[in-house]
Amino acid sequence: MAGPIYELKEVVKTRAGDGYSFRLRVPSLRISPGEKIALIGESGCGKSTLLDMLAFVLQPSGCERFRFNVEGKEHDIARAWKRRRQNRLAALRRRHLGYVMQTGGLLPYLTVRENMELSRRILGMKDDGTVAALARELGLHRHLEKRPGELSTGERQRVAIGRALAHRPSIVIADEPTASVDPFAAERIMAIFIEMVEARNITVIVASHAWRHIKQLGLRRLAHHTRRSRDGSLAETVVSG
Amino acid sequence: MLLRHWRETLGLASRDYFHEWQISVCFVLALAAVLGPMMVLFGLKFGIVGTMIDELREDPAKREIRPVGSGRYDRAWIDALAKREDVAFVVPRVRAIAATLEVGSARSPRILSLEVIPSAAGDPLLPPGAPAPRGLRQVVLSASAARKLQVSAGDGLEGSLVRRFHGHKERVRLPLTVVGVASARAFGRDALFASVQLNEALEDFRDGRAVPQLGWRGTPPQSRRYTGFRLYARSIYDVAGLEEAFERRGIEVRTQAADIETVRRMDRTLSAIYWAIALIGLVGFSLSLGASLWANVDRKRRELSVLRLVGFRTGDIVWFPLVQSLYTALFGWALAVAIYRAAAWGINLMLAPQLDAAQQVCRLLPQHYLVALGLTAGASVLAAVLAGLRAARVEPSEGLREV
Ligand SMILES: Nc1ncnc2c1ncn2[C@@H]1O[C@H](COP(=O)(O)OP(=O)(O)OP(=O)(O)O)[C@@H](O)[C@H]1O
Ligand SMILES: [Mg+2]
Repeated sequence: MAGPIYELKEVVKTRAGDGYSFRLRVPSLRISPGEKIALIGESGCGKSTLLDMLAFVLQPSGCERFRFNVEGKEHDIARAWKRRRQNRLAALRRRHLGYVMQTGGLLPYLTVRENMELSRRILGMKDDGTVAALARELGLHRHLEKRPGELSTGERQRVAIGRALAHRPSIVIADEPTASVDPFAAERIMAIFIEMVEARNITVIVASHAWRHIKQLGLRRLAHHTRRSRDGSLAETVVSG
Repeated sequence: MLLRHWRETLGLASRDYFHEWQISVCFVLALAAVLGPMMVLFGLKFGIVGTMIDELREDPAKREIRPVGSGRYDRAWIDALAKREDVAFVVPRVRAIAATLEVGSARSPRILSLEVIPSAAGDPLLPPGAPAPRGLRQVVLSASAARKLQVSAGDGLEGSLVRRFHGHKERVRLPLTVVGVASARAFGRDALFASVQLNEALEDFRDGRAVPQLGWRGTPPQSRRYTGFRLYARSIYDVAGLEEAFERRGIEVRTQAADIETVRRMDRTLSAIYWAIALIGLVGFSLSLGASLWANVDRKRRELSVLRLVGFRTGDIVWFPLVQSLYTALFGWALAVAIYRAAAWGINLMLAPQLDAAQQVCRLLPQHYLVALGLTAGASVLAAVLAGLRAARVEPSEGLREV
């Protein structure tokens, strides 16, 4: 395979609140195409912060290097942020990224089918049966004409997975995709999800706080550790991998 | 690609708008509640003032300018007046005492002493398209004179007039033909419209001068002076200007300028009041729609950030509130038109007994509807722009983890 799809060096995000500050530091991170990455950690350690930066929706406070290589092209994310090229980042998200949120993130005014088709439609992709096939795989084919409001939480999560995969992205980022469903459903949904990205050879990055069942799915875990100052007003998480 | 984005945004904004139809209906009702009564108000103003102005316009008497007392005007001066842009019709008048004629008809035993009014083609008192009296034989009768003499167009009349000449009383007879009858609305009194030439002949006869065409004897004709004129301005709006022009030349005239001015001032005052109300209404509506759209951005933060996340551009997102407020403008306008139509129908029906068949108290022209739509759309866009810019600033990460 070619070089890494993500290439980060000294990427930092600082978040400060009232008498409290949190820092996420990534001294070095390389993710190869097709890799399955797991980001496991306690609540508040910065998983979402890192995923958002990898999804180009959160601007790093500082970075030495932030490259995104896809389809033989190299994109300098650090520079795009610095120059406020929002629309360029939007174009990268549109074309190459799928994002599964913790709770659905579906549009309530569209049917399940239309929600799953959303990315395909803005990309102008013709209906080639992909959505129907995805729906069948996810066990959603009976719900295609319903609105998200008429679905159970687990079904909504599966719709979100379908939407993230429908336009054949290069990367799928999932931030605790199963946090809001019961442990048995969570395990099943996660298993289907990983199976599907594997079958499509999509790079996947998943955040979760349950390592136990992630381990069985063969994901690579990113190493990280969190340090807190004694009075608890300062926290820093360092991620590398 | 731009077009596709735009179309997708339009589609999504529409879906959202109709999905949340309860809220959309509230917006539409709020708009129609402001716009509908405004249209009724404007319809009333336009209908009432319009009817008054139409009345002014249709009544030629409102355009008449008559000199007070008698003056001395020559033909060239009158002809110069006729050439003025703002003058529709002018003919010279002879002395009032000379301008009478006793008239009888074969059908009626009565002899009427008629006021003779100089006329010519284009006389606003004569029915449009009807022939004007020409030469020394043709006359047009006023409606009341025709009724009393029991004649109509085509019938013959006999005029007769008397003078003292060389110490004797002399009477001549003058056969005439009725070529038309003026409407009762145009002229109420008994009168006879005759050419300037016939008027001059009557005056010459009474002054003891000869009228060779009619075989009347007398002293040879002299250069003529007229004592007055009949003048009509081109439109009611020219009356005041003409009045001023005459006064400047030292000719005192009587006009209906004051009446006309009253109606025009009323029009201006009502328009000013109306536009003040309309402005306040539209500003109020814009503010309330703007505030709701602004709040809507907060309510939809999550959905908007989902759109940003899947790759909609900043510029696409701006359209979201804009499209929705245009929907509100369009439906609100349509509902307001319906409200207006119902109200106007009711008002006109209620007042129908007091009005002519064609008159309407509450009335709008097609362009008024379009202006209302344009203003509403403009106000809505204005209200939506701020919200749109705010929506565009929603960070894609912002709504993802809504509390
Ligand atoms: N918008 C924000 N402004 C300021 N601080 C923030 C903001 N979002 C997150 N933080 C802080 O940054 C730290 C990391 O948050 P983050 O959401 O990345 O945690 P997480 O690992 O995803 O936690 P969880 O497992 O609970 O989702 C937390 O301490 C949080 O308080
Ligand atoms: Mg999180």
